[in-house]
Amino acid sequence: MPQLTCIDPNDQAIDVTFEPGETVLQATYRAGVDGILAECGGGCSCATCHVILNADWDGTLDAPSVQEADMLSFAIDPTPHSRLACQVQLNDKHDGLTLTVAKRQY
Amino acid sequence: MKIGIVGAGQAACTLIAELIRGQFDGEIIVFNGESHSPYQRPPLSKSWLADPTETESLRLLPEPIERHHSIQWIQSQVKAIEPDHGVIVTNNVSYTVDHIVLATGTRAKKLSIDGLSSEKTHVIRTLDDVMSLTSALDGVANIAILGAGFLAFELASSLKHPTRTIRVLAKGIRALPQISVKAADRLLDATPASIRVGVTVERYDEDNAALITNHGPIPADLVIMAIGAEPNIELAHACGLAANEGIPTDAYMQTPHPRVSAIGEVSLHEQPHLNQRIRIESISEANDTASTLAKRLLGQPEPFHATPWFWSDQGDLKLQIAGLSARTDEETVLINSETECVVIRHQGDRVTAIEAVNAAKEFMAARRLFEQGTISLENLLNAGSVFSLLQSSRS
Repeated sequence: MPQLTCIDPNDQAIDVTFEPGETVLQATYRAGVDGILAECGGGCSCATCHVILNADWDGTLDAPSVQEADMLSFAIDPTPHSRLACQVQLNDKHDGLTLTVAKRQY
Repeated sequence: MKIGIVGAGQAACTLIAELIRGQFDGEIIVFNGESHSPYQRPPLSKSWLADPTETESLRLLPEPIERHHSIQWIQSQVKAIEPDHGVIVTNNVSYTVDHIVLATGTRAKKLSIDGLSSEKTHVIRTLDDVMSLTSALDGVANIAILGAGFLAFELASSLKHPTRTIRVLAKGIRALPQISVKAADRLLDATPASIRVGVTVERYDEDNAALITNHGPIPADLVIMAIGAEPNIELAHACGLAANEGIPTDAYMQTPHPRVSAIGEVSLHEQPHLNQRIRIESISEANDTASTLAKRLLGQPEPFHATPWFWSDQGDLKLQIAGLSARTDEETVLINSETECVVIRHQGDRVTAIEAVNAAKEFMAARRLFEQGTISLENLLNAGSVFSLLQSSRS
């Protein structure tokens, strides 16, 4: 199965396998990665699943929607590579993706 | 310390996750009265109903937490509790714990309609409810939804299909009475359902597959009741801990009995900055009441202090509400553009809630402002947007 690597808020690197079609949230949440709260359960409504993707992967993903970008602007210290994990859908091309979980969700 | 949690919904699972993450060194026994592992409810009427996939996508607890060695899962209904002895009784077993947490949630209200069979009657509360609905949809051309709140219109959007007519029947004089007329109009403009207000149902005519109402017959191959929920207070009631409208607790989620706490939608808890006891049906309340109790059980008590927030998805429209308004609160439109709509609910100058349709920034800014304290209508109108007011409060 393809996998991605998460750097959690304690700077631990964790490998997480995923099914193509899943979101980053579904994969990381199932694996119990620390620091991803997802209070709204993946509805793009709370901005507590903030992750920062490794810049190398920018071109492989659809740009965030207006709703996601607006929610992200209220995350703690957003970067140009910030995303809400619930809005990033994974496919086979994302095998090896690396991301960092935001240090704080609020 | 051994904790028994009655219920396995959002509040129970948030409590479990926070206890495990907080290095809780006792044991947790969870009583799950449903036949599924803990799952998320919000998608049931939204994305999941529109496109039901495997139930794994609804998973509520991360695997390492669900399987944590300190948790014992009991798949059984709880029949009684005995607070004085810390006893929780299921069908045939008694469990003794140091502390009992009631996270029993709510159940869908059902209306009994003369002539309407149980096969044609649906509610949406549990995963089984939704599975039963989706398996009954084949060949259904007319769906009647009783009730005209958020759930009714979420269902209408999710069930939209070229071969189906969906009718929302409101008993009251308007649809979406919980929110301002302006915000409601934005959502109702986009609903695939036709809406009738002031409807009283008299009976169901099986031969013609129609609800007989004061507006005449209304075709209905099946009827979904979305008329609200009521708290599951029976266990608490049997030991004198419940009021009609929920289980009263203080701001630390403690009931009058020292061995019993209550969290989530069943808790009628003190809300210090609103200066009242409230029971709210929302994810934010489930999470925030559970966090408050987790802190107390981990030995770092802090009173409940969160601001309520809500959301509802209807097709491409997202309604987000920060704060809590009464139906009678005044409404003042702040933004009403082609793409977004923001309405202020207020009592005089005191803003009680901000309703945002497709306006995530305004919603997030409103949450931040409510966290800082009260919002003045005059200041908000002078600033022109919630976002500007937040920026000026920071500078």
